[in-house]
Amino acid sequence: MTAAPLKHSRYLWVVLIVLLVSATITQVVIEGRLQKPSVTPSVQWIQSPVLMRRLAVGFNAIWADIYWIRAVQYYGDTRLSEDESKNYDQLYPLLDITTSLDPHFNIAYRFGSILLSEGYPNGPGQADQAITLLQKGIRETPGKWQYFQDAGFVEYWWRRDSRAAADWFMKAGKLPDAPNWLEPLAASVLAEGGEREASRQAWLQLNQTADHEWIRQAARRGLLQLDAEGDIEILEPLVNKFFDRNGRFPASWQEMTAAKLLRQVPVDPTGSVYDLDPVTGTVDVGRKSTLFPLRSRLR
Amino acid sequence: MRSMAIIAGGVFRDSIRDRIGYGLVFFSILLMASSFLLAQLTAGQDVKIIKDLGLASASMIGLFIAIFFGIGLVTKEVERRSIYSLLSKPVTRSQFVIGKYLGLVMTLLINLSVMVVAFYGVLLYLDMTTLDGAKAAWEAPALDPRMLKAFALIGVELMLVTATAIFFSTFSSPFLSVALTFAVFIIGHFGEDLKNINSIVQSVVLPYIAKGVYYVMPNLSALDVKSAVVHGQAVSASHMLLASGSCMLYIATLLVGAILIFSRRDLK
Amino acid sequence: MDAIKTTGLTKHYQVGFWRPRPYIALDDLSLSVATGEVFGFLGPNGAGKTTTLKLLMQLIYPTSGHAEILGSPVGDVAVKRRIGYLPENPYFYDNLTAEELLVYFARMFGCSAREGRQRASRLLDEVGIGAERRFQLRKFSKGMVQRVGIAQALINEPEVIFLDEPMSGLDPLGRREVRELILRLRDRGCTVFFSSHVLSDAEALCSRVAILANGRLAAIGALDELTSVGSRGWELVVSGLSADVLARVNPRLTRATSLGDGRFSLELPPSTIPEQLIPDLGGARIVSLNPLRGTLEDLFVEQVRATGGERFSEKVAS
Repeated sequence: MTAAPLKHSRYLWVVLIVLLVSATITQVVIEGRLQKPSVTPSVQWIQSPVLMRRLAVGFNAIWADIYWIRAVQYYGDTRLSEDESKNYDQLYPLLDITTSLDPHFNIAYRFGSILLSEGYPNGPGQADQAITLLQKGIRETPGKWQYFQDAGFVEYWWRRDSRAAADWFMKAGKLPDAPNWLEPLAASVLAEGGEREASRQAWLQLNQTADHEWIRQAARRGLLQLDAEGDIEILEPLVNKFFDRNGRFPASWQEMTAAKLLRQVPVDPTGSVYDLDPVTGTVDVGRKSTLFPLRSRLR
Repeated sequence: MRSMAIIAGGVFRDSIRDRIGYGLVFFSILLMASSFLLAQLTAGQDVKIIKDLGLASASMIGLFIAIFFGIGLVTKEVERRSIYSLLSKPVTRSQFVIGKYLGLVMTLLINLSVMVVAFYGVLLYLDMTTLDGAKAAWEAPALDPRMLKAFALIGVELMLVTATAIFFSTFSSPFLSVALTFAVFIIGHFGEDLKNINSIVQSVVLPYIAKGVYYVMPNLSALDVKSAVVHGQAVSASHMLLASGSCMLYIATLLVGAILIFSRRDLK
Repeated sequence: MDAIKTTGLTKHYQVGFWRPRPYIALDDLSLSVATGEVFGFLGPNGAGKTTTLKLLMQLIYPTSGHAEILGSPVGDVAVKRRIGYLPENPYFYDNLTAEELLVYFARMFGCSAREGRQRASRLLDEVGIGAERRFQLRKFSKGMVQRVGIAQALINEPEVIFLDEPMSGLDPLGRREVRELILRLRDRGCTVFFSSHVLSDAEALCSRVAILANGRLAAIGALDELTSVGSRGWELVVSGLSADVLARVNPRLTRATSLGDGRFSLELPPSTIPEQLIPDLGGARIVSLNPLRGTLEDLFVEQVRATGGERFSEKVAS
């Protein structure tokens, strides 16, 4: 008789399966309870992008991808967090590292600048950082007109500096391969009173030419925000009319429809009900709307 | 039981007599000492760099030993056939595997302790030679005891990697075992990023696969609190417990698997 | 109780990756070895001797059949306390000294470090390792490693000892020493199971032998019986034989060899009965008359050939 290779081996197989399953389940269970690793990457003390690339020992493209993933996750997690005050401080460093590791990481510059300039609390609201990032992109790839276009955008849309914006668009238009609508865009930006129209133009162009779906989505959102602003321009006077008639602002949209000033409760282009403030009479997109916050309400 | 202890002791004795082992520990201590020079180059970040380098080198060296020596534990005995006479003594194959594992773990933990002492030694020197004014800029004190937590988790990580190495070496060639152990290490570390891969790759199926792999594999990035302790951030006891506990389950799984596989093998 | 007993022990290996076919390393081996015997396990290279030993040490697992040592199944840890094993071409741990190796093993049997050192010292003396015992094994010659191997097999004073090619790597002096050692072990009541392809060792030491060829048991039994089966006739040495007498009786001889000075060695086939031949030898005087026994070698070669002597490639079942 030979002894079985292992005593109780059947029993051990069961133990093995139980252990593996419980290990996996434990992972699922503890996922939320583990401390989030600090996002601040240790590599920040490496000041030089060249050195950083060298230290990545040939895997810099992959590291860049990893940091890009982390940047996007960081932005998303922060935006969705329940905290009272949201802290987007690490976004710029993460994007900086990503673009240091891979200086031609197009989407990191372009979408990164969109994320950076997005108004608080949906984003850090750091238009300056966005411009800085784009300038870095321009240094690395001087001929890329899209970065100029994006910088012009940030200036116009977020910093409301038409002059600076027109300047960027003109520079962009002069680059080889640049499309021919950039210089006219510069012109319309400078035109007085044409602000909303110029913005619409700019967003439209971005939607049509951007090479990444996310940028196009941002452009479409911008267009919808413009539509919402148009709606508000119509709604607010109506609210004022109510005030004139009744000496106070309406408490809800129902009062407006009851007073026959509106036919139905107004919704923004995404279908979300507009927010009416009974105290000040201002109309805004609902806080839960994806169009929130409207740029025009930020300053 | 006794046989396991004897085999473990044998592994430890082997490691002491092994010049490579010594060289590695010496190298790490050298790294730590030379981190001083590097510190001079980066204006004000000196304590951070020394801490970063010290933790990183302890981790890397430990890993190197865990993978390469871990794989040799079983394969060397089988290839050279010293295991023939060993198994004719009153020791079972299970005791052999566990004994070897415990021996290497013990070696690793002792090495790690030596490196911790050297690490704090360097930091002590820095602490004594730095002016109080400069120290005010430090995020965390030089001789911060919280760094021990990072070392403790590094120890847990090494125990897991060793178990992985032994597991693969019970049935694959040394080369393949190294590759597979390394793969587990990488997936374990970048699993979180893997889970979020749909940020860069648009695919329907890939996120599910990535998530599945993430949950089945051990989460090694949870064991990496180096950044946190260097910045003086707290690492909660519950995090330490959960991360370590989860890894212990994996270690047990791997060792049971190794025993099952090794016990059935014909030793040609 | 038999010291060792196998029943139908069989081992097949799968050869070939795409369409694996079984290679029969051992086929249906059934034998038993009584306590206290010195048992020779013989066969040419590749016959399956080492396979058998590895099966007995549970280094490999049988395809079918089973084996027992001292009444318990092989691999039983309690039995491992009572046996010793010397593998073929042994290799131990390079960075240990001979002493340290023996102490390492001794401790696994429950000896304290001091007891282990005492036993180690004694055994190293017995196998003829002197001051070299303090050197690391990496510095040992093959013969010295072999001696250390024998020593480690004896570290626990086993009741049954398994030796795979114990003489390999030893010079003639060494071989004689090992032979004497085996006889000493037998005198102490130890059962010795050794495999070899050197027949003279078996002839000198064994009470029983088995001959293995191509994975199958070709012959087994007491040495005397095996070699006497088929007695081959007689050798008659005579002196003073005249040439014409020789010519006359020649047809009844297998061979006649002149030894000089009128002495002849006459080889008689089994069909010629000496008592009937001698009167016909004239005045020749008889110097000696001995039956011719087959040597173990003859038996060996005969049996190996009888099992077909197929080559490896033919053995792989098609």
